[in-house]
Amino acid sequence: MKKSFKIAMLTMLVSMIALAGCGAKGTDEQAAAGGKSEDGKLKPYKITLVYPGTAQKDLAVVQEEMSKYLTEKINATIELKPIEWGSWDDKTNLMKISNEPFDLMFTASWYYYPRDAAKGQYLELDDLMNQYGKDIPDVLGPDFIKGSRIGGKLYALPTKKEFGQGFGLLLSKKLVDKYKFDVNGVKSIEDVEKMLGTIKANEPGVTPIISRKFTNVWEAANYDNIIAHIAVARGSKEIKAIDKLEDPKYIDFYKRMNVWYKNGWFDKDILTSDTDQAMNMIKAGKGFAVASSLKPGKDKEMSLTSGTEVVQMETAGPFTTTGDAQGAMLGISRTSEDPARAMMFLNLLYTDKKLLNMLDWGVEGKHYVKKSENVIDYPEGVTADTQAYPSPGGWMFGNQFNSFLWANEDPQKWEQFQKFNDSAERSIILGFAFNQEPVKAEMAAIENVNKEFEASLGTGAVDAEKTIAKWKEKRDAAGFDKVKAEVDKQLQEWAAAQK
Amino acid sequence: MQQKNIFSTSMIHLFFWLFTIVSLIPFALIFMVSITDEDSIAMNGYSLFPSKISFAAYTFLFNDFSEIAKAYGVTMITTVIGTAVSLLITALFAYPLSRSGLPFRRTLSFYIFFTMLFSGGMVPWYMTYVNMFDMKNTLLSMIIPNLLLSAFNVLLMRSFFANSIPESVVESATIDGASEIMIFFKIVVPLSLPIMATIGLFNTLSYWNDWYNCMLFIDKPELYNIQYLMTKTLTNIQYLIMKSSSSAQAGDLLAKMPRETVRMALAIVGIAPLLFAYPFFQKYYISGITSGAVKG
Repeated sequence: MKKSFKIAMLTMLVSMIALAGCGAKGTDEQAAAGGKSEDGKLKPYKITLVYPGTAQKDLAVVQEEMSKYLTEKINATIELKPIEWGSWDDKTNLMKISNEPFDLMFTASWYYYPRDAAKGQYLELDDLMNQYGKDIPDVLGPDFIKGSRIGGKLYALPTKKEFGQGFGLLLSKKLVDKYKFDVNGVKSIEDVEKMLGTIKANEPGVTPIISRKFTNVWEAANYDNIIAHIAVARGSKEIKAIDKLEDPKYIDFYKRMNVWYKNGWFDKDILTSDTDQAMNMIKAGKGFAVASSLKPGKDKEMSLTSGTEVVQMETAGPFTTTGDAQGAMLGISRTSEDPARAMMFLNLLYTDKKLLNMLDWGVEGKHYVKKSENVIDYPEGVTADTQAYPSPGGWMFGNQFNSFLWANEDPQKWEQFQKFNDSAERSIILGFAFNQEPVKAEMAAIENVNKEFEASLGTGAVDAEKTIAKWKEKRDAAGFDKVKAEVDKQLQEWAAAQK
Repeated sequence: MQQKNIFSTSMIHLFFWLFTIVSLIPFALIFMVSITDEDSIAMNGYSLFPSKISFAAYTFLFNDFSEIAKAYGVTMITTVIGTAVSLLITALFAYPLSRSGLPFRRTLSFYIFFTMLFSGGMVPWYMTYVNMFDMKNTLLSMIIPNLLLSAFNVLLMRSFFANSIPESVVESATIDGASEIMIFFKIVVPLSLPIMATIGLFNTLSYWNDWYNCMLFIDKPELYNIQYLMTKTLTNIQYLIMKSSSSAQAGDLLAKMPRETVRMALAIVGIAPLLFAYPFFQKYYISGITSGAVKG
């Protein structure tokens, strides 16, 4: 036994040394190559772009075409590296930890941006942008960039797209026409109730409103949510976090949901039903409304993807929070061997229409044909099901306003987006992002409690006051005070840095 | 007596009939959903007897079959090579361990046992294969990591050799002048078909069902295996549902995912071949159990 133990230890030691050697080698190489770019002439370089999505059949074709174009512009080629949404966490975490070299990576506030920035995964971009990305601030405007900063520092650049969220309902067009509902302007919750009541009374077999998304949308429309139901109320004049569960407005809303439930306005699967299911029900003529975050043309988009016509109706004006500014971004990895070139590429994504549209839609003549200057359509014989380069999602890259529009889209889309962006109400804490790390343990416990109550409260099936009281009790036991104190502290620091 | 016998036999039969039906219903449902008309699912939900039958999902899948065909190719290559090599290595490791004359026998046993209790951890494990052996985007990455040699299988096989192959059989072969290699291949292996079939089946299943290695090590879609092709669709959908409350884009993406029927059709395409492989192994199972007895 003694001998075997010795041998085991020896094996472990040997493998540890081997691994350590390997790791050290990796970092040395980077340090030597990092950040160098020759004056005047640029060395050839391959930029790696990592983003979530499914690799298309013609990815290689598009990659080659982009590389050709990029070689002319900045003497670089590109490797597109889509990673499946479902594998993203496992795969990218290992890539980051194992020092795998790559240049640009997609990130967002809902996609680990604050965490990765705190860990130092992304390079600080201000200097690089001033040197190699001079056009970007003009394209994005100050609000967007301000909203992207963490602790005053810029770690990733946001896509220029809708800057804010609208809130409301998608309604079955058939029923809206039948009852001649007025869907223009911002509707109050009483107006919505009238409509749902009409449907309930006159359309047996039609569920007036599907899924508990309405509560999500209402909360997002009325609060800038920080974490764990700590939020800053919309329209608040001072930077002060409140506990939503103690807000009378919040309690009243859920009392109302309880009434809705008792009226039988919700579907019977409300606990689990989602937008997908709701659209199916509307399509089948069994549903009337589903809540959704809105942007210009959202109803058209949804009509196209679901195959049934819906119209959108606003229940609150557009609102911009940090989450919207950081909704889709590209960061430069610390493992990039030439961050300057990555920044040049980013600069092109914001300014070069040709490059961006190649990435968004593929090669002209092969994957799309031009109908007019900015409008494109499928080439003959190609349909949505047979296209070889379905778009990876223009909302992830650069300046979406430069992206071509499809023949079935509103030709005024980007003008409308601009109007929407200008009209959206900015949250007083735009740019504040909460770093969860210090209260991670408490958050895990609170999250569990929240899960339990959020769902039942959201269905409207329970008495609001009692449930919220119980919820508060359990949540306090899970360490809520500590989280609240941390939020207050970070918020104060942030507010001080703004002056 | 006769009466009772018939009664109990029929009860046993009934039980197994019911058990078989309960096991088969999920498969039947998946198959029926895969050939149901999409609209009829939206209207009536899942049903074993769909109101309208449509093969649209299969037309959609086979419209571009090259992706599935390639994935099948990858799975088959890794499964065949992986199973064969893995079985050989496992047997070659387990057999000496079962022989009492082996020097350092206990140490070697402990060494393999040790890996069952402790592992190097995820990150060093990944770095070993990616940074040291450069296995990213190779077929090897779907054969070697985690799958090639399982300590549990080695110990299982060792116990089988130790308990079921009497020392006297080996001795008698030695007296007849057989070399160690010959003893192993000519005598021990034929006598061990049951364990070989069992471990072989374990290996086949774990290679066929593996998507984790593919997920971690493979970036190139032409090297995806069939399980990952299916898993990714499902995990993508789950993931986007999870994120859809925090990002409007995730909700939009969700709407573009393959429809219900396509997912089910994909599942059918994925499991079908394995259903055919089972009877093949079963043959060896039975012959293995009935043979191999030593007289005296």
